[in-house]
Amino acid sequence: MLLEVKNINAGYGFLQILRDVSFDIDLGEYACIIGPNGAGKSTTMKTIAGLVSPMSGEIIFNGENISGLPGNQVARKGIAYISEDMNLFTNMTVQENLYMGAYVIKEKALKDDRLDFVYNLFTQLKSRRNQLAGTMSGGERKMLAIGRGLMANPKLLLVDEPSFGLAPQLTENVFDNLDILKKAGVTILLVEQNVTKALQVTQRGYVMENGKIFMKGLSSDLADDPHVRKVFLGV
Amino acid sequence: MAESKTGAVFVWMKSAGGITVTLSILIAIIAGIDSGPYIIVNTIVTGGMLALVAMGLALIFGVMNIPMFAHGEFFMIGSLAAYYIFTPLTEYLNTSPNSLLAAIAPLIAILGAMIVGAVAGLLCELLIFSQLRKRSSENWVMNSFLLTVGLSVVLINAHQLLFGTEFKGIVRYWGGRPLEIMGVFVSRDRILAFVLAMIVVGVFWLFMKYTNTGRAIRAVSQDQSGALMVGININGILLLTMALGCGLSAIAGAGLLFLYPSYPTVGLEPLYLAWFVVILVGLGNTAFALVGGFIVALIKALTVEYIGAGWDFVIPSLLITIVLVFKPSGLFGSEVRGVLDL
Repeated sequence: MLLEVKNINAGYGFLQILRDVSFDIDLGEYACIIGPNGAGKSTTMKTIAGLVSPMSGEIIFNGENISGLPGNQVARKGIAYISEDMNLFTNMTVQENLYMGAYVIKEKALKDDRLDFVYNLFTQLKSRRNQLAGTMSGGERKMLAIGRGLMANPKLLLVDEPSFGLAPQLTENVFDNLDILKKAGVTILLVEQNVTKALQVTQRGYVMENGKIFMKGLSSDLADDPHVRKVFLGV
Repeated sequence: MAESKTGAVFVWMKSAGGITVTLSILIAIIAGIDSGPYIIVNTIVTGGMLALVAMGLALIFGVMNIPMFAHGEFFMIGSLAAYYIFTPLTEYLNTSPNSLLAAIAPLIAILGAMIVGAVAGLLCELLIFSQLRKRSSENWVMNSFLLTVGLSVVLINAHQLLFGTEFKGIVRYWGGRPLEIMGVFVSRDRILAFVLAMIVVGVFWLFMKYTNTGRAIRAVSQDQSGALMVGININGILLLTMALGCGLSAIAGAGLLFLYPSYPTVGLEPLYLAWFVVILVGLGNTAFALVGGFIVALIKALTVEYIGAGWDFVIPSLLITIVLVFKPSGLFGSEVRGVLDL
């Protein structure tokens, strides 16, 4: 098991969002967390990534308890978090952003290897490498954010709402790229509001409501579940 | 390509920043012709050191979001450290002359002052600002501002208590015959102080642009969460930024020791001028602070020449008030996005 989340409680200040959330992801798996707005999906991601520190509970990654570690140390363990608003360095070029993604890698040759890998995956980024990140379109920025996350050669990729603010066609594009990564052996945890799409592409899913894991199962089973269909798909 | 570059230059010339820079250069030339080139020389020499103080201020604001009102005290610490390093060195040189040591003694003093200033900045971050950051993130700018004002009072009084109120100054660093530039005699110390300031600016720019650590500082100034996500140790960067900013101010204090002897409140004038600079150009950008340093130095030199020495704080603040009424984000304000980025 690559990641095991055990009974985490987390929130902001006095406001508790997550209540006893537990789930796990195997190596090489493509899993998703779905749920309505405010269910705590993004908070779950941020807690794993170390941007929110949990009040209690354990997060075991690769056999090591990482709960409570600050974000920079979580990143060094091999978890890349691609947030909803991407948090790009808008006034650096595409290439500088990518190099920043490999900040934890010290050897220059290794960095360049990773850069080639990302440029091969997203050829569009290569042709725009000297453009400032802030001047790119939404879809390109999303690509850059994923590319930056991949630069450190992560074992686990946490992707928060990749379709957020994107035109449908670009959303397809982003999902295609995630598919390629999955085939390349990267473990991915996806958080998505587009439930139909998320359940189509992933293998396993968790349904979150009111800060709790409400259901879990194979994505194909969840897509057929009457509750999921009623609440999320409106059928 | 060349055409689009000249086009971009023309667009820039029409922006508020471009107009100001062009106008400043024109005014400097006219004033230079009208009442002698020493105005230009004065502007350049004081502008260089002022730029160092202002860049430190802009760096600390841009990366850490602290409106630093104790920055002048690091200028004071720098001048004090340089005094206590340089005076024993000259005394030693009087008894046993050594031309090599005589040449590098000022550099030792200035470098020592930079280290003392950086360590002082490090301690301030560790003992004061990181403590505040741990306890509350609400109202950060206001709280940290009040802390810096308090720190300023404490440091001024600590100087008074430990080292007394008398002027602790030196007559010269290198000395020697003044050089003639455009018909004006300028002391070698002033020229070397300017050269030193420009070397420091150059090294700083290279560091920020091409080293991993410099890039990390810029990353933190642009997006702190993003920096955390790629594995940058934010607290380490904040510590380093404070040390760098305070070190820059200390270099200025040490470099100008032959003009401004060290005494408890010596830092107030450079502090106010540096604030004029960063408010004028827009908060938090070091590259514009460099330009602004020269503009404010020019305004000051012109005021002293044409209106009178007593007015040299009134006119700059008046001008800055006018600028802020019409352009509240500063002359380059709307374009400011990161600590080094144009």
